[in-house]
Amino acid sequence: MFSSLSRRRVIALVVLTGLLFITIDRNGNPVFDRARGAVATVLRPIDTATEALTLPIERAWFGISNYDDLERENEALRDQIEQLRGNDVEAQSAIIEYRQLLNVLQLTSKFDYPTLAAQVVGESPSNFQNTVEINVGSNRGVQKGMPVTDGAGLVGKITEVYPERSIVRLITDPDYAVTAQVLSVDEPVTATTTTTSDDPDGTGSSSSSTSTTSTTTTTGVPTTDPVSGQPISNTTTAPSSTTTTLLEVVRETGTLEGQGGGKPLLLRFTDSTSSVTSVKVGAIVDTAGGNNSLAPQGIPIGTITRIVDQTGDSSRVVEVTPNANLRRLYFVTVVLFVSNADAVGR
Amino acid sequence: MRPFFAGPFLRLLPVGFIALSLQRVLFAHHPVADVKIQLVLALVVAAGAGGGADRGAVAGFVLGLLYDLSGDTPLGLMALAYGMGGMTAGSLHRFTPDPQWWLAALFATFGAAVGEAAVPLIEVITGQSGWVTTDLLRIVPIVAVSSGLLCPLLMPVGRWMMGVKRKKWKAIAE
Repeated sequence: MFSSLSRRRVIALVVLTGLLFITIDRNGNPVFDRARGAVATVLRPIDTATEALTLPIERAWFGISNYDDLERENEALRDQIEQLRGNDVEAQSAIIEYRQLLNVLQLTSKFDYPTLAAQVVGESPSNFQNTVEINVGSNRGVQKGMPVTDGAGLVGKITEVYPERSIVRLITDPDYAVTAQVLSVDEPVTATTTTTSDDPDGTGSSSSSTSTTSTTTTTGVPTTDPVSGQPISNTTTAPSSTTTTLLEVVRETGTLEGQGGGKPLLLRFTDSTSSVTSVKVGAIVDTAGGNNSLAPQGIPIGTITRIVDQTGDSSRVVEVTPNANLRRLYFVTVVLFVSNADAVGR
Repeated sequence: MRPFFAGPFLRLLPVGFIALSLQRVLFAHHPVADVKIQLVLALVVAAGAGGGADRGAVAGFVLGLLYDLSGDTPLGLMALAYGMGGMTAGSLHRFTPDPQWWLAALFATFGAAVGEAAVPLIEVITGQSGWVTTDLLRIVPIVAVSSGLLCPLLMPVGRWMMGVKRKKWKAIAE
C-alpha cells in the first residue's frame, strides 16, 4: 500500500477522511453508533483480562507505597462519618419537610423520578474529556441526557448509551452545562399582621391586613415548627396585632458550566440586575429544574467558594465546588428523567 | 507486495486494542501531575519514528479511530490528531538516513506534542472550544516527554505492527 501510494497522497487521504468522519458524526450517524457498540463489545473482555493482569500489581504497589497515607485517610474518614451521622438526622428531617412542601405546592422534584444504581467501570483515557463509563445501558431504560448523581450530589449526564453500558459526561467537563439555582437566606423581613374585631352583625367574622418591608421578588417563607407547623421566630402576640419575622429565601438561577477536571464549576447568572449581590460564599447550589432543564429541580450540586470579580461585565459569575468527589466515583445513581431536547445544556 | 489488509492492518487492530485497553485500565487511573500518559499516542509516534511519515499517519489514523470508537469523542477527531502526530514523528526519516534511538525518541517527543495539542485545536474547529486553556502547557509537555521515553521500548512493536523490517526501514531512509 505504502509503495503504491505516494507519501503526500496517504497523508492527504488521512486528513480528508478524518475531517469527513468528524462532519458526518457531528450530525449523528447510526452506522458509527453501531461501530461504537461493536468496539465496546470487543474491548470489554480485553479490558477485563487487562484488569485481571494489572490489578494485583497495582494493589501490591499501592499497598507498599501508600500504606501510611491510607491509614491516615482511614482515621480522617471515621471522624467524618461520625460528623455526618449527626448531619444526617437533620437532613432527613429537612427532606421530609421539603417533600411535604412540594406536595402542598404541587411541584415536581427529583424524588418523583425512578432511579437506577450503577457501578463506574471505567474512565476516559483522554486528557481532554471528563467522562466515566457505567455498567447500565439502554437495556435498563437509560437514555441520553439523563442526570447522574451520587450520594453527595450531581455527577453529570449520560451522553452515550449502549445496551449494557453508558458514558457519563462529568459536570467538570467544559462541554457540560446545566441550569442551576442558588438558594440563600436573605436579611429577615418583618411582617405585621393587624387583626381587628369587625363583627358588627355578630357572625364572628374578622378582617386582617399584612404589610412587609420586602422589596425583592423572592418567596417569603416563615420559620415554622416542624411539629406544629406554627411560626416560631420572634412572634409577638398583641391583643390586635402579630409581628412575624420572615426569612427571605433568595432564588437566583443561572447556567453552570465545567472548566475541566480539578477546577471549580462556573455559574453565570441569568439576570445580572437582580439581587445577585445577596449571593454569598458558602451558599448552596442545586439544579433549577424547569421545562428546558437537563435535570429535575433540587439535585444538590455544590457550594459557592468564590465570587468572581468581572470588571466591565454586567453578568455576575461565581465559582462552585461540586459536592461529589469526581476523582473517586465507584457507585452512582441514574435519575430516569428524560430531558427536553431543546435543553440549554449541551 | 503484500496487500495492506493482509499485512499491517491485521496487526494494527490487535495491537491497538491491547494498547487501548492498557490505556483505559492502567494509564487512565494513574495520572502524572493530573495528566494521563497516552500509551496509544506513544505507540503511534513510535510507529512513525520507525516506519516513516506515511506509516505513522496511517497508524495514527487507525489507532485514533479505535480511540474515538471506544469513547464519545466525535469519530475522526483523535484519528486526525494522532495521524498528525504519527506523521510528524515519521518526518525524522527526511532528515537522517539511519537515526539513532535517541534521535527517534526526540522526534517521537515532537510527534506526541503535535498529536496531543492537536486534539483540543481540532475540537475548536468542530465547535467545542472548552479545552484550549493554559492547562495545555502542562498536559502537552508531560505527554510528549513520556511518549519520548516510551519510544525506544515501543519502536520494535511499532515497526512490527506496520510490517517494517530492519532492512526495509533503512531503505525508507535512503
